[in-house]
Amino acid sequence: MSRFEDLLREALRREEPPAGFAGRVMVRMGAAPEKMSRWQAVRRAFEAPRLRWAGAVGLCVLLVGVGLQVHRERETRAEGELAKERLVLALQIAGSKLGLAQAKVLEMSGGRSQ
Amino acid sequence: MSEPAVAQAEVDRGGFADLVREHQAMVFSIAYHFLHDRTLAEEVAQDVFLQLHRALPALKSAEHVTFWLRRTTSHRSIDYARRRRVRQVSLEEAPELSTAPDPGDPMLARRLRRLVASLPEKPRLVVTLRYQEGLEPDEIARVLAMPVRTVKSHLQRSLAILRDKASRYLRMESYEPL
Repeated sequence: MSRFEDLLREALRREEPPAGFAGRVMVRMGAAPEKMSRWQAVRRAFEAPRLRWAGAVGLCVLLVGVGLQVHRERETRAEGELAKERLVLALQIAGSKLGLAQAKVLEMSGGRSQ
Repeated sequence: MSEPAVAQAEVDRGGFADLVREHQAMVFSIAYHFLHDRTLAEEVAQDVFLQLHRALPALKSAEHVTFWLRRTTSHRSIDYARRRRVRQVSLEEAPELSTAPDPGDPMLARRLRRLVASLPEKPRLVVTLRYQEGLEPDEIARVLAMPVRTVKSHLQRSLAILRDKASRYLRMESYEPL
């Protein structure tokens, strides 16, 4: 290590910042809104007791709403299934009737040709 | 600071204040030796610690915190200088030194800091990390994310420039070899 490097080391030695630096950092830290993920923000929001209750009630309302919606959808689906079965039955009846009519027509046209 | 202490500091404001006190001289001095302005250096150092508070959960050990602080302060100082267009110090601005230099002389130290501040950005950081922090070239390379060869060449060239300028400017011919 040369003499010049020693001089540089001496000139560039660490210096303390102006007094109260850490305090000023802590003040800024308290003033600045903390950056957090959405999930952290939601969790932090529900740490307050009132919000926790409101959240629980909201969750219950949501669950009841979802349950009703699911029930309604099931009913609609069951009605749809019934209508489908009826339609299939009607088509089957119509099909068999048509088959009978066709057989009659063929029978009549066969009798004439003889 | 041990690993649990680093993790604890994240949730404990007092712990974080201790962490700030432990590293404030390092962070402030890197910024100050780069920007050559105490007010700006404090601003940069405060920003770095606010950033550290957010980054702390991801930092695994005390060594990691120190490495992170050196790297972030270096980058922040460059950003700050570019954004604020910090005036680079020129040699002509410094007044002449009339007395013979002495290693403990505050005037000489101030003059040398001015000379360092007149270097371009990257060499200035390399010189600061080498002589303020006492880092080896491979450590500087990791902090500044540049090849070791580049660090060595910055060091060599910067030392030659500084030695030459110091010899001429401070009239230290009698002080040879610097």
